[in-house]
Amino acid sequence: MAHKFPSDEWVAAFGDEINASEEYRIAGKPWTHGVTALVVNADPSIGLAEPYGIWLDLDQGVCRNARYCDVDEAQTAPFCIFGDYARWKQVIHKELEPVKGMMQGKLKLKGNLQIIVRNVKAAQALVNCSTRVPTAFIDE
Amino acid sequence: MGGYVGRYLDVDLARGAISELAWPEELRRMYLGGSGLAARLFFERGSWSADPLGPDNDLYVLTGPLSGTLVPGSSRFAIAARSPLTGIWGEGSCGGNFAPALKRAGFDGVVFHGIAPAPVMLVVDSGRAELRDATALWGVDNYDLIGRVHDLLGGAKKPSLLSIGPAGENLVRFANVCNNKHDFVGRTGMGAVMGSKRLKAVVCRGDGEIPIADPEDYKALCKDLVAKVKASVPAQSLKEMGTDSAMDLGMMLGDIPIRNWRRGEDYELSGRLGGPTMSETFLKRGAACYACPVACRRVVEVPDGPYRTEVGPGPEFETCCSFGTMLDQPDLAGVIRANELCNRYGMDTISCGCTIAWAYDCVAEGILSADDMDGIVLEFGSVDGAIALLPKIARRDGVGDLLAEGSREAARRVGKGAQELTAEIKGLEVPMHDPRGSHGMALSYMTAYRGACHKAHVVEAIEHGFTVFEGVGLEENYVGPSSAGKGKMVVIGENLGLPLNSLALCEFLMWCYQFDDLARAIRTVTGWADFSVEEYLRTGERLWLLKRCLNNLMGVTRGDDRLPKKALTPLEDGAVAGIVPDQELLLSEYYAERGLDDGGRPRIEVLERAGLADVARTLFGAK
Repeated sequence: MAHKFPSDEWVAAFGDEINASEEYRIAGKPWTHGVTALVVNADPSIGLAEPYGIWLDLDQGVCRNARYCDVDEAQTAPFCIFGDYARWKQVIHKELEPVKGMMQGKLKLKGNLQIIVRNVKAAQALVNCSTRVPTAFIDE
Repeated sequence: MGGYVGRYLDVDLARGAISELAWPEELRRMYLGGSGLAARLFFERGSWSADPLGPDNDLYVLTGPLSGTLVPGSSRFAIAARSPLTGIWGEGSCGGNFAPALKRAGFDGVVFHGIAPAPVMLVVDSGRAELRDATALWGVDNYDLIGRVHDLLGGAKKPSLLSIGPAGENLVRFANVCNNKHDFVGRTGMGAVMGSKRLKAVVCRGDGEIPIADPEDYKALCKDLVAKVKASVPAQSLKEMGTDSAMDLGMMLGDIPIRNWRRGEDYELSGRLGGPTMSETFLKRGAACYACPVACRRVVEVPDGPYRTEVGPGPEFETCCSFGTMLDQPDLAGVIRANELCNRYGMDTISCGCTIAWAYDCVAEGILSADDMDGIVLEFGSVDGAIALLPKIARRDGVGDLLAEGSREAARRVGKGAQELTAEIKGLEVPMHDPRGSHGMALSYMTAYRGACHKAHVVEAIEHGFTVFEGVGLEENYVGPSSAGKGKMVVIGENLGLPLNSLALCEFLMWCYQFDDLARAIRTVTGWADFSVEEYLRTGERLWLLKRCLNNLMGVTRGDDRLPKKALTPLEDGAVAGIVPDQELLLSEYYAERGLDDGGRPRIEVLERAGLADVARTLFGAK
C-alpha cells in the first residue's frame, strides 16, 4: 500500500527501509554526527498548510528513530535541509541528487557542509531507501 | 572606454627592443582581451607555421577588461602561443595578482617575440619597461626566485612575479608559468615557450588606476556580486574545502579517475584525498586571489615524515587526482610533496602526473621495467616513484628526458602497446574528470581548442549541476552518463566559457552568479552600454570558431576529435560501470550544432556570420 508523502506513515516506512538497507548499513557506518532533519516547505496549493519536518536519528548505519517534527524542532538538529515539496519529489524520483540540489540552491542546508560532502555515499543510500518506499504524492 | 589601460608592450627579445602596440576598440569588443585577443593577433601575424620552440612563436601575456577591477574573480590573465606539447593552439590562464599588477604598472599586456641571446627578465615598473639580465637567476626554482627578484629590484612595494622554473628552462613540454608561488598557467607548456625565448620572468609593479566607465554603478555592482557569492553554496564549499571539495562528490558521480583510468570507485581513497580531509589535517589557512571573496586556495604544511613540506601552496583537486587517485595511492601528504616539487620546478601537475601514471601502467603491464626507469620503482599504491621522477623530468635527466615529452610522444617512442595506456586528446593529457561519467565532458574534451580540457568551457558546472545557468538556452538538469542531447549543451557551454578566459574571469565565480550579472559587469566597466548576454554568447562562438580555424591551419581535422581508448573502455565498478560515451552520436550532434564540415572545419557561412570572413578566406584558400 502506498503511503502519502509527506505523512507520518511515509516517515515510518522510510525508517524501516533505512534499517532494512544493507547499502545504508555500510555507507552510513561513519555517520556519528547526529540527527538530520528534512523539512518540506509549506505549500497550501497542494494542501500542505504547514512545513512538514522529518526527524531522522541516524547513527553508524542505523536509523534509531524516524518521526514527524515541526519546523522549530527540525532546526535544533545538527543538520537541517529545507526544500520545496516539488524538490523533495524530485529527490525521491532520483531526478535531483541532494548534494547537487544544495549546490544549486534548490535545497538549503543548515549544518556543516564538509560533513555532508564527506558522506555523499550515505546520502545516496538514503535516497535509494526513499525511492523504495511505496509513495502516493499528495499532488497526484 | 573603461577596463583597458590602452597600452600594450611589444618586446623583441632578439634585439632587446621594446615598443608599444595600439589596438582599436572594435578589435577589443570582438575579442575582449586575454586569450581571445591573443588568438586574433596570432591569426593576423600568421603564426600557425611557427616552430613552437622557435623565435617566430610569439608569446602573448594579456589581461582582459575586467582584470584587476573589483568584480569578484577578476584576478586573471592569459598566456597564449603555439603549444610545444600539442603543436596546436596553446593557452592557459591563472589568478593571483599578476593581472592587476600589470595593469597598475600601466599596460594591458605584452607580446614577446624572438629569442634573447642570454636569459632576461622584463621589468615593468610604473609605466616604464626594460629588459634586465637574468643569467644569475637561470636555474633558480619558482619559490626561491621570489626573494631573489625582490632583492634585485629593491623598493618598498613588492612586485608581482611571473616566472618559469628549471622545467621551463629545460623545455619540458608541459612546463608551466608561475605567479608568485601560488598560481600557475598550467596547461599546454607555456613555460617551455618562455624557456625557449630565455625569458625567465616578468616583473610588474605600479600604482596606476584602471579606468571604470560607470563608477557609480560599479560600486553597486561589486556589492551585489559579492553578496551573491557569499550566499552561494559552491562558494561556501570552495572556501571551506578548496577545489578538492569535488573529490567526494566526484566519486559518487563516477567522475574520479583511479589507477590510470582502470577503476571506477573507491570511497576510501576519495575520503583520504578529499577536501574535508585536507582541511582537517594539513591545512594552515585558506588564501584568496586578488578581489576574490571565495578564497579557495589552500595553504598547507606537512610538518614531518617522509613527505615533509614547508608551509606553502596546497594541491588543487586535479593534483589530488593526478598524484593521488591516478596512482591509486591514498597518502595526501605525498600529494602535497609532489605538488610542491612540481611548483618549484614549474610543471603542470595534470600532464606531469598523468604522464607518470602512464609510466606506472606501462611498468605494471610489463611494457617498461625498473631499468627503463633508471632503477626507480613504480608501483600503484605508492607515490614514491613519482616523487623520485620529478627532478629527473624537470632536468631531462635519464628517463626524465622521455617523460618530459608528455605521454603522447613518450608512448610513441616506447611503442609495444604503450599508446593504448595513454589518455590524451590532441596531445593534451585528459584532466581529472572521467569522460565515462560525464558524456558532455567527453564531448568537450574532443572539441576543446587546446586538446582535452575542462576549462575551455563551463560544461563541468552544467553537467555536474554545480549551478543552473538561466536564460542561455540550457535545460535544468542533465544526466552525466548519457550521450543524447549533449551536442547543443556543449556548444552553449563552450560559448559561455570561452569569453571568461578573455575577460579574464575565474569560472568558479560563475557558479555563484548568472551571465546577465556578468553582462552588466562588462557594461559597467567598459561603457559598452548595449552589451548583452546575447552578444556575450556570440562572442563566445566567435572565439571558439577562430581558435578552431587556427587549429585547422595547424593540421587539426575531424579525425583528431576522438576519445582515447581508455575513455571507451567500460569500467567494471562504480557509478558508471559498463557505460561509455557514444562518440559518434556526440560528434554528429555537435558538428551539426556548431556548423562544421566533414573535415572538421567551420563552414564558410558560419565564419562569415561570426565576423570571421577574413579567417574563412585564409582557411579555405590555404587548402
